[in-house]
Amino acid sequence: MAKKYAFVIDLRKCVGCYACQVACKQENDVPFGQFRSEVKVRQDGRFPDVKWRFLPVLCNHCGNPICVKACPVPGATPDRKATYKREDGLVLVDTDKCLGCGMCAKFCPYRARYVWEERKWEGWMRKADKCNYCVHLLDQGLPPACVRDCMGKARCIGDINDPESEVSTLIAQNKDRIVVRENRLTGGLKPTPNVYYILDDRSQVA
Amino acid sequence: MIARGLAALFAWSPANALFRPLSDNERQALEAQIGNVQVRYSADVMCPSECGLEMWIKDGYLFKIYGNPNVPFNDGTLCAKGAAGIQMVYSPYRLKTPMIRVGERGEGRFRRATWDEALDYIASKLVAIKRTHGPEAVIMDAGDVTDRDTYWRLFFAYGTPNCVEHGAICDTPRRHGPKLMLGGKRIEPDVMRPVLVRQPDGSLKKDYSYKTKLIIYNGWNPFVATRINYESRGTVGAQVETGCKVIVIDPCHTNTAAKADMWLAPKAGTDADLFAAMLRFILERDAEGRAGYIDPAFRGYSQGWEEFLAAFASWWDKTDPATGLKYFSLDWAQARTGLPRQKIEEVAHLFGSIKPAALVWGMQSPGHHYNGYVASILGTALNVITGNLDAPGGAIDTELTKSDKGGSATGKQFLTRKVKRPVAGKVVEATQDELHMDRYGDWPSAWDDVVGDYPRAFLEGITLRYGPFRGHKYPIKAFIIRTGNPVITGSATWKWQEALTARDQSGGYKVDLVVYVDTPFLETGLYADVVLPEASYAERMSLSDIYPSHPVLYLRDQVIQPLHESRTPFEIMIGLAQALANNGDPDIKAEDFWAKYKTEEDFWNEAMAPAPGKPNIGEPLPYPNLPIGYKLIGTPDSLDSGRVTIDHEKKEVKGEPLTARWIREHQGVAVWPMSWRRLHPTGGGILKTGSKKVEFVFSAYDKYNKLIDEAGEAPRGIKELGWPKYPRTFYWFETKWNPNNPDYAKYLGGFPFQLICGRVHHAMSGTQMVPWLSEVEVEGTWAPMNQEFESEILEVNPGQTQWSIPFVDPATRYEVRNKKFRPGTFSVGTILINSDDAGRLGIQMGDMVVVENPLGKQVVGRAFVAETIRPGVIKMGFATGGRFSPGLGPTFVNRAYTPNHNELVDPDALSPIMGQPAYADMLVRVRRA
Repeated sequence: MAKKYAFVIDLRKCVGCYACQVACKQENDVPFGQFRSEVKVRQDGRFPDVKWRFLPVLCNHCGNPICVKACPVPGATPDRKATYKREDGLVLVDTDKCLGCGMCAKFCPYRARYVWEERKWEGWMRKADKCNYCVHLLDQGLPPACVRDCMGKARCIGDINDPESEVSTLIAQNKDRIVVRENRLTGGLKPTPNVYYILDDRSQVA
Repeated sequence: MIARGLAALFAWSPANALFRPLSDNERQALEAQIGNVQVRYSADVMCPSECGLEMWIKDGYLFKIYGNPNVPFNDGTLCAKGAAGIQMVYSPYRLKTPMIRVGERGEGRFRRATWDEALDYIASKLVAIKRTHGPEAVIMDAGDVTDRDTYWRLFFAYGTPNCVEHGAICDTPRRHGPKLMLGGKRIEPDVMRPVLVRQPDGSLKKDYSYKTKLIIYNGWNPFVATRINYESRGTVGAQVETGCKVIVIDPCHTNTAAKADMWLAPKAGTDADLFAAMLRFILERDAEGRAGYIDPAFRGYSQGWEEFLAAFASWWDKTDPATGLKYFSLDWAQARTGLPRQKIEEVAHLFGSIKPAALVWGMQSPGHHYNGYVASILGTALNVITGNLDAPGGAIDTELTKSDKGGSATGKQFLTRKVKRPVAGKVVEATQDELHMDRYGDWPSAWDDVVGDYPRAFLEGITLRYGPFRGHKYPIKAFIIRTGNPVITGSATWKWQEALTARDQSGGYKVDLVVYVDTPFLETGLYADVVLPEASYAERMSLSDIYPSHPVLYLRDQVIQPLHESRTPFEIMIGLAQALANNGDPDIKAEDFWAKYKTEEDFWNEAMAPAPGKPNIGEPLPYPNLPIGYKLIGTPDSLDSGRVTIDHEKKEVKGEPLTARWIREHQGVAVWPMSWRRLHPTGGGILKTGSKKVEFVFSAYDKYNKLIDEAGEAPRGIKELGWPKYPRTFYWFETKWNPNNPDYAKYLGGFPFQLICGRVHHAMSGTQMVPWLSEVEVEGTWAPMNQEFESEILEVNPGQTQWSIPFVDPATRYEVRNKKFRPGTFSVGTILINSDDAGRLGIQMGDMVVVENPLGKQVVGRAFVAETIRPGVIKMGFATGGRFSPGLGPTFVNRAYTPNHNELVDPDALSPIMGQPAYADMLVRVRRA
């Protein structure tokens, strides 16, 4: 079967350290205040039954990516727009084609995208961007920076079509605690995210 | 900034006739700088965890920093701070040139100086001070422990014994128990994975399996105060993979507490109370015949237990005046800690019955309490009697298992030089070491020196009270501070400011010379006469200083050339040594410095020579081919293959010495095998006490009692406790500024809150100019609560890094930009307060509040109102706010509404045995600003 990437984050092992977020900023030169990979923190409960909860988020590389639908920049083929989905499941941005209109970012149900400005000639050009699973590393057989640096070893990427892969094993072993992120869309759009989370019982508070 | 650097490099084009052709050496150097991406292995210094790194360089620029996957200490991981290193290395706020002060101390007015001028200025002053006051009038404070050896060597050779480091103001009470009873320092759970283990077939294998079933972290927050990297992955790894239970005891709900199976929030400063109740409970249940809590085998590798037990139990019938209850009973502990009796009982029962387990206590607490010694002694005893010490999956004293290093490079041999001083009309001859300001002055038992008492030393001078020079007095005339910032971190800021600006009768500063050496420009630098820019950790060489479960050592390699005009510690040592010699210093000799070490690598090779220095002991035996119990020295492969010489008299095995070259050729790290049960009382185990056993009767105190006998007076610390001498075994005393201490009852009405502090890993003293770390939010003490402000930051030029590495131009990747920050987008130091407390005081999230102590000091900051802290306790991050050095960049800009916790520390509350400031002992009141 063809390779298809999936990402698993074991929330039981996330220690809320932000290593993924900063590793990503270093790796991908993300401007201040914008993120491809981010940790959201929240406190739940009342003293003493309280918990900090950590939720690392990144692009879901959806099976049915709404951002690709939203992208108005045509490509040589319908699946090669400025934002497109690769055969192995990665949703990518071709920044050479991107016009910076921001439609993809506007329609992303997970707010995983941002628009940055690149200094070009004497002016600035807008470009959309987001997590690309560090495709430049992945294509050389190296893990994304966030997976590599993760202090809790909570992150994992691999081929979900290979039943022996670590992601497949983790998903199989933790069937009843695997979740994906809820999205902010209503209506019939089903983005089908490819980032899977293993829930942490200890984070469940009364 | 960076672009200009590379443009200069390309200006050497042969097409330009104005330039000469390159020599062969120059060309090679240039090619080495340009070319493709190179990977170099190194060690971090963004924080003291010092994880193993892969640093990628391209065109001479540091380009990527990752964890080194070959280093088991961090197993390829790297924290947020480590990953942000590039923003520190290329920070616009770095010191760029040497500077000499032109204004008054504290004003921050300097002029640029050359290295020659600056070093000559320092050397001439040092030579004059030596002539007038003796070399002991000079303190060399190497701040962070890392890379101290070059500086210490130089100043030991100069003649002072007063060379210190950051350990003195870190957590000495926390380390005291293990040091006293094991000869160690840091008890950590056995969760470093992988460990390299000898297999039955003789091979070595990385073992990833966890064995630990219970970890209790008391006042220890490894997920945020990251000192021991592997506790992040190891704690959650053991939970998920073997069902390990984790209990966190901390007044604040830390990130570590967030992952705990049980979080208990006691009143602050009650660690010893809880541990004492746990020990009493375990002992009483054991006496009732309840089997299983105590592992009687500990008697075989310990001494003095009966006496310890008798001293401990002698308190059981006494009534505590604060509570009216019997000491160490569960009811007493409930009243003292504020935790429910049944929870205390449950924790004690779990720790007694679940094995293997580890009881770990932290820097924040007990390390920051006046009576932390009591807790660390009790904690050590609890780990020992339950059979967890060095058991597989249990508690490891990592000071005893880390690799040796330093050796003769440290220059400690200079301390044995004989010196003469006139004392009371007689000339006394003894060693240089016996002039030590603390160990023969007011703090004989301060193994790690007493930086917290320096303001008093600066103001009052030193009187030696013990040893051969008893009665000798000297002033402190020079303070050389390197990679430390005691004005903010070394107890009360105001006291340090007062001491560094105090003048003598002639109108000059009492401390005649203050030299500041560092990469960033921090507050202590504002009080310096000379400022020297030190190369960043990517630009210099030295060794890792880490706490793994078995010996691991790696090189901090020089991966790029020093930026600006900065110099490496080695270059500074050699340069200042030569300047001293030129100024006529008779003690600085070529053969000890510039003739001895041709390169920086020579120096660090000498420092590596003693590695690993640990005995061949434990199960499974690390080297079955070598004699059991013998001390191992040399590279892992030489020991493994038996390329060794064996000295049966010294019980020492010497293989081929570890070198920088060997480390570079072996994926950046030397790893020797793990074993457990390394205590062996008779075959030369890892314990470093006088008896080589666990000591419940403290022989380490004997030499101090001998000094007291000779001198006829007790040192100030224990005199404060009313003790004539150091105790033989278990002791108890109360902490300061604590509701449980009747001495402070009068303050409770006016100052109802306890103030604690804790390290926010992402916002430590030297790295707050790193913008990536202000995009994170930590535990309510480092939060995006900024007002609108403008500041220069190092910002990326996006669009460079697309798709593949070779297209990136590292020269234009970053630039310094003046940026406007909207409110609520940038993390600053905040004041954490419980929401019920805040509600009562009319304080809402983000309000400006004033925190005042009974000493008349106050700080202001924004309130972070949360459920995550015990009512009655206020928490601030350590050194996160009130930062008045422009070298802090945005953190400086935001100083007016961020709190400096140390402004509220009592400078006279120095913990009695080792003089550590009681950072977390204070009572305060809080009001809206």
